[in-house]
Amino acid sequence: MARDDRNPTLLALTSSALLLPIYQGASADAPPEFTEVGVRYSRYKEDDILGRNAFGGGSERYKIDVAQFRMLAPVADDWSFALDVAWEDMSGASPWFVGEVAGQSPKVIMSGASIEDTRTEVSGTTRYYYDRGNAGLNLTYSDEDDYESKAIALDGSLNSEDGMTTYSAAISTADDHIDPTQGSVPTNTLSATKDVSSAWVGVTRIVSQRALVRFGVSYTYREGFLTDPYKFKDRRPDERKEWTLGTGYRHFFEEQNAALHIDYRYFSDDWDIESHTVDVAWYQNFGQDTVVTPFIRYYTQSEAEFFSNLADEEARYFADDYRLSAFGAFSYGVRLSHDLGNWSVNLDAERYRTDGSWGVYNGEVSPGLVDFWRYGVGLNYVFR
Amino acid sequence: MGGPCRLRLETNEGVDATVAIAAATEEIQRLEHKYSRYLDSSLTSKINRAAGTGTPVSIDDETAGLLNYANTAWRESDGLFDLTSGVLRRAWDFKSGRCPEQSEVAALLPLVGWELVQWDINSVYLPRPRMELDFGGCVKEYAADSAAVQLRRHGVSSALVDLAGDMAAVGTPAGLEGWPVGIRHPEKKDAAIAQVWLPEGGLASSGDYERCLEIDNQRYSHILHPLTGWPTTQGLVAVTVMAQQCLVAGSSATIAMLKPLDEALQWLNELGLPWLAIDGELECHGSLR
Amino acid sequence: MITLKYLTGLLFVVVLCGCETVQPWERGILAKEEMQWQPNVMEAQFRYQVYASKEASSGGTGAAGGGCGCN
Repeated sequence: MARDDRNPTLLALTSSALLLPIYQGASADAPPEFTEVGVRYSRYKEDDILGRNAFGGGSERYKIDVAQFRMLAPVADDWSFALDVAWEDMSGASPWFVGEVAGQSPKVIMSGASIEDTRTEVSGTTRYYYDRGNAGLNLTYSDEDDYESKAIALDGSLNSEDGMTTYSAAISTADDHIDPTQGSVPTNTLSATKDVSSAWVGVTRIVSQRALVRFGVSYTYREGFLTDPYKFKDRRPDERKEWTLGTGYRHFFEEQNAALHIDYRYFSDDWDIESHTVDVAWYQNFGQDTVVTPFIRYYTQSEAEFFSNLADEEARYFADDYRLSAFGAFSYGVRLSHDLGNWSVNLDAERYRTDGSWGVYNGEVSPGLVDFWRYGVGLNYVFR
Repeated sequence: MGGPCRLRLETNEGVDATVAIAAATEEIQRLEHKYSRYLDSSLTSKINRAAGTGTPVSIDDETAGLLNYANTAWRESDGLFDLTSGVLRRAWDFKSGRCPEQSEVAALLPLVGWELVQWDINSVYLPRPRMELDFGGCVKEYAADSAAVQLRRHGVSSALVDLAGDMAAVGTPAGLEGWPVGIRHPEKKDAAIAQVWLPEGGLASSGDYERCLEIDNQRYSHILHPLTGWPTTQGLVAVTVMAQQCLVAGSSATIAMLKPLDEALQWLNELGLPWLAIDGELECHGSLR
Repeated sequence: MITLKYLTGLLFVVVLCGCETVQPWERGILAKEEMQWQPNVMEAQFRYQVYASKEASSGGTGAAGGGCGCN
């Protein structure tokens, strides 16, 4: 029924009725109604590095096993509390440095299967909900053999009077300590610190009954030991300033019973790195309980001004880390979610592939570029 | 809630039906305790006791929402839907089977009139002593909707809340397009004159057969006209309306019952909601026929 | 690709100016789980961590969180 055809009396009665709280459904600015608990196992596995890209033949690279726990609970009428815990087990080899034999292209020298580390992260967020928004305080502590991080973050949102626009802001600061202990390779430092401060502002706008759009700008300042302690040829500036400009769009298609997600991010920093990221996902409902979500992601970045495959160790700053090289990455995957009453099961898999020629920026192609698989299974329960 | 209440639900795997039912029942009881005019402790009684005392009674968002809805229904019905008309029951004793004198009715009319009520989002005040607010005209429907919301929140995807004829459906029964609802025959107590299918949403009925008074072959409805103080006798015998919200269905049915027959049929037609009406000749009208 | 940046800014202005008012009771679809910015929090946490540790850029959806030795 087209809106304009509706009888004015019915329209008046219906709109007055719908002003009553019970008809408005879950509002974003109310604490969760019920306690939710989730557990999840994920695996991240890098493809073996190819023999033609590494000295000493192909080598197994990095893998991570992750177990996660999450609990989100209402506390009193206007508060919620969330606890996130993650345990990671990392093992494998990573590129140590890039070398060259005359007449051949540069190849990676791997660190050997020498890295074995575990990481535990505990994060607590308390959130307060008020009439026109909510505000949260988050504390995160992460500990691994050679690294410790303590972070605090504050965020808040405010809805416009008509509820069509939401303004959000967040700030955070982290204090990290590095004490390299891993492996047999010499490290670039014995002990160092780094501080990260970040701010973000965003605006979300309701476009129509089935579409939302969001814009955000962020600034991050890193200071301290930003060099990779394990990379042989790595010396980076002790300061980095990063900017991002992001936008997102959500659209629901009633006929298909599906939602389209599009996200784009532009990133730029004072190391001369620039990047573009595009994420597209299609949340397809099947009945009331099943959602299948195929997604694709494209990423491209330029190289850092001090990047070179064959690092010039005479220069003030240098790095042969593939992560600072110019490349393009294409990833795709699928998520599956199924509800069974108070339970829900999630499965997901993602394939991530990189190539020096897939990017839009020119630069030396690093032999250390990584391809990986990521998959996971999760289980959630709602205490209703 | 004045009449038999039923809850029918189909359980889903993994959903604790007892918890869902308890939440829905608790919600209905909460509303009854809050709005019943028969309970001294209710908000309604508090508002009515404060009538003419000069002190407004503070109200919450939910009550303000109901008053706002009642105001819209009053405006849209040109004064037929009126939460203050309950006071007329002092003259009309449907149990005694006696018609009141016109003088008794006339004495009460100055106490009826929604336009007299002073209300805003924070408080409500009845300016004349003995005036009464009666949420009976909308709270049963609202309670059915509220109970349905509770069931949905607890994961129930198929249920029917039936509060003495005011119904709110959550989903549909497995394999069916809607919930089968029998429309009671106005003259045969346990027979149905029609059957309709209620998909997700609300259904409400209003009729002369409930709590009616019959004198000299003249059927007097329990629905009293707020302007005359008398029941409408030339109107419909019964009407059933479906709407997304039981609340909207209920007030639409009430308004239709207070209009003369032809006007009522035309009004229901124009409203655009599915409806079924029965006239004095027991003939059925409407889109649900 | 660079023009995407400017297109984003342009879109921002267009969108803020031209939206029909959507009443609170008409926001049922927008409240759906699949219309949220981040429907699956736990999966996203790990996913973003992986991207951040394999790429030179990170952040953009909020303030940067705590670090790990991975990048």
